[in-house]
Amino acid sequence: MTLDTAEIPRRRLPLPPMKLIRPVVSLGVLFGLWEIAARTGAISAFLFPPPSAIFAALWISAGPNGDPPYGILLDIALSLYRLLAGVGLALVLGTIIGLAIGLTGWGRAVFKPIISALMPIPTLAWTPVLLLVFGIDNRTTITVVFIAASFEIIYNVVTGIEMMTRKVYWVAASMGASRLQTLRYVVLPGILPYLITGLKLGVGYAWRALIAAEMLAASSHGLGFMIYDAQEYMDMKSIYGGILTISVMGLLIERGVIGALEKRTIEKWGVNVER
Amino acid sequence: MPIGFQILDRALRVIRFLLPILGLLLVWELAVRTGLAQAGILPAPSTILARAVELLGLTGERAVLFGHILASLRRALVAFALAVAVGVPLGFLLGLSEEAQLWVSPILSLMLPLPAVAWTPILLVLFGPGDLTIVIVCFLGAVFPVLYSTMQGVRACGRQPVWVVRSMGGSGLDVLRRVLIPSSLPALITGFKLGMAHSWRTLVAAEMLAALTSGLGYMIFAARSYMDVSTMFVGVVCLAAIGMLIEHVLFGTLEHVTIHRWYARDAQTGGRQ
Repeated sequence: MTLDTAEIPRRRLPLPPMKLIRPVVSLGVLFGLWEIAARTGAISAFLFPPPSAIFAALWISAGPNGDPPYGILLDIALSLYRLLAGVGLALVLGTIIGLAIGLTGWGRAVFKPIISALMPIPTLAWTPVLLLVFGIDNRTTITVVFIAASFEIIYNVVTGIEMMTRKVYWVAASMGASRLQTLRYVVLPGILPYLITGLKLGVGYAWRALIAAEMLAASSHGLGFMIYDAQEYMDMKSIYGGILTISVMGLLIERGVIGALEKRTIEKWGVNVER
Repeated sequence: MPIGFQILDRALRVIRFLLPILGLLLVWELAVRTGLAQAGILPAPSTILARAVELLGLTGERAVLFGHILASLRRALVAFALAVAVGVPLGFLLGLSEEAQLWVSPILSLMLPLPAVAWTPILLVLFGPGDLTIVIVCFLGAVFPVLYSTMQGVRACGRQPVWVVRSMGGSGLDVLRRVLIPSSLPALITGFKLGMAHSWRTLVAAEMLAALTSGLGYMIFAARSYMDVSTMFVGVVCLAAIGMLIEHVLFGTLEHVTIHRWYARDAQTGGRQ
């Protein structure tokens, strides 16, 4: 028995890290105080229903007994569909316009002034105009999402091109690359990290714009429509449940989806490589 | 370069900037005139301009536009002032105490992805439509940029300057006045600029949902029910123009007389005198 027991490191109790404890405690305290205040009647239980009741209502509306059945899930699905369609459109058109501004003289001369004239218009101010053009339709909300997301994407694509050194073009040209090859093998990989940054910011704006647009212009379903509709019936539990869902979904999209995308691309490749 | 050339150069640049915009307006005008675009949905720029002249009261009618603009500006400014009154002290608190920031940040990050407009339904039930609801929504839109910029500014200050003032017998008030406020001022002003921009941008949607009789957002949304498209476009242009004025002229000047003047000298002489 030569095994020295003192060498074995003592195992600590596997405490969850503070990173996990803090949110649970701080949100728990917030919701706990709210619950107690509402239950004891310190605040109006109609205007501020206790969180337990909000979660219960949310749970019911996610099941077959909701009104309509699986209502909240439908709302989430429709909001996500609109977000995805608008952002997808913004990604394609925004990249093309960004490339035109960054790479060509005429693109810069034409698009830059037009974009700086359109940018100061608050995104939601387009909603009534779009309502006239498309009516109450998915196209209205999708276009609002598209407008909200595209400026950030264009701006970042242009920045990405401006940050590239001229050397990479020389290398490509000296090896006899065609314009298309230069675009495919030099420019696109070069702007990708910036494109993802633009996408991240754009999606954030788009999510906020979408909810507001749905409140103004959605015909049926969608989280924004849901909370606005619930207000007409003074259904406070649904409003709070909807707001909570909007916030959690927003967090998941920004931190979860886009964060994962960043990890798999930018952090893996490293942005600071010689460009 | 002689001054004459400089002026010419600048004029040429302005013209080159305006040319595509004018071109777009011309194409738009022609499309409406030739019937390619429906005038009922997309009125010609000349029609919109004429409507703007009418709304401004230049043709002898009642000048309704100024009333709407003033109502909107008042709400946005009140909301912005509230956001500064709440955001700056809270930003100082959370910027100075890392512990406080760590405990509060889960709540903040839950609030952040919410558009301010999402609170409107609750506020409508609480207070009904009107100024109070609109101002609170704009406040919620403006407070986060102010808060986060203040936090960053205070955090960037570092401990050493605070220690120096402390060791020389300065009180907490001295630290605030001589160290924290001067060093976080550029971030504060950036926060104010962002906050005002957010307040203005949130205002439109809030006014569309909750205004009773006045405001640019109300004007646009009300014009929609009469299919009065030119008025809608006048409203949209006003929103953009006033937003630009606030951001570039007002805050541009503010930045120029504060940050650029005080802090650019720092870089040259290596310290405030």
